[in-house]
Amino acid sequence: MVRVTQVLEARLLGESDWIAATEICQLCRLDLDAVLELAALGVMSWRERAPGEWQVPATALPRLRVVGRLMRDLGVNVSGAALAVELLEAQRELEIRLRHLERLVGDH
Amino acid sequence: MEFRDYYKILGVERSATADQIKTAYRRLARKYHPDVSKEPDAEARFKEMQEAYEVLRDPEKRAAYDQLGSEWKSGQSFHPPPDWGSGFEFSGRPAGTYAEEDFSDFFSSLFGGGSPFAGATSRSGGRDHHARIEITLEEAYRGTSRMLELKRPEVKPDGSVELRSHTVRVTIPAGVTEGQLIRLAGQGEPAAGGGSAGDLYLEVHIQPHRSFALENRDVTLTFPVAPWEAALGASVTVPTLGGPVEMRIPPSAQAGQKLRLRGRGLPGQPPGDQFVQLKVLLPPADSPEAKAIYEQMRAKLNFDPRASEAR
Repeated sequence: MVRVTQVLEARLLGESDWIAATEICQLCRLDLDAVLELAALGVMSWRERAPGEWQVPATALPRLRVVGRLMRDLGVNVSGAALAVELLEAQRELEIRLRHLERLVGDH
Repeated sequence: MEFRDYYKILGVERSATADQIKTAYRRLARKYHPDVSKEPDAEARFKEMQEAYEVLRDPEKRAAYDQLGSEWKSGQSFHPPPDWGSGFEFSGRPAGTYAEEDFSDFFSSLFGGGSPFAGATSRSGGRDHHARIEITLEEAYRGTSRMLELKRPEVKPDGSVELRSHTVRVTIPAGVTEGQLIRLAGQGEPAAGGGSAGDLYLEVHIQPHRSFALENRDVTLTFPVAPWEAALGASVTVPTLGGPVEMRIPPSAQAGQKLRLRGRGLPGQPPGDQFVQLKVLLPPADSPEAKAIYEQMRAKLNFDPRASEAR
């Protein structure tokens, strides 16, 4: 096996990056109806650049990928996955706060 | 290569119906799904389950697997029988199922595929690949780089395809936040017929830090102070991600109070802040002098810590 070392330019997808809904479908393995339903449920924001040309902020991608995995792997529907992803995020936030509070009240 | 007992993995009898297999898989998937589970080995267990389900849910694959017989035990050394593969034709993975997961050598030896490159492509170009990288909070603050080993299929002169390893260094800019994606254009799957290669997406995860708690770009530090520092105010040296800074504690500060160091969180536009939450530690009354001071406080301070709770 030949090893090649190459330095790659990383592109950080941030708040100002928008991704076409069709690309989101591919990246998250969701169908377009599911993406539009998720937008309607408020899971992520969206905009319509031109008629029928939907875009979603890149920052929503990790969340939408979790939605896609939950739908595929657990057989939940769109609203079930949306609820689950929001609860998971809330749980994670609470865990961070809990860890912090434990530090505050615990032994030094 | 080791034999895998797919029935045992899903916890079902060899005689289980398709519905029983589906129920068993769903039940286990809920417990071990890496996005949901807190089990330490969730990811490995889940992959194993997916592989077992991929075989047992598909009547063709299940029938083929069953032909190996029931004498095999998990972990036993295994080679496919010499006549393996004759008489079966696997229709490949249905589009949209676990195309991005690596299945075991055992699976590949029986059913082919298994590599992340085996799935159907849904556009003319190569597929996008996804990977997860973990970095420390300090690395998120300063930026960092990672060596990644990417495997690519390459056609050899004799027409066979071999996976070739390819090491790349990826520079991760400062100010990356939890869950953020990095796109490496053209580093996904090469296109089969002249189309553009897929992209490689890296999902960044920041490891929990022993001192700082991270929320978006803000960090919070629990900072111990003496009662007189909180009561009288003090100038103290506080660690931040960018190095120690001087901070003034205002007089009459309370335990649990949060002070803000603007712009000392993760870099960005705007950068995050650092919050310093005060934790007042009491000196122990373990000497005559210390006891005398506490006695004096009791006598001279008109202080009732439960005043606000009195009804």
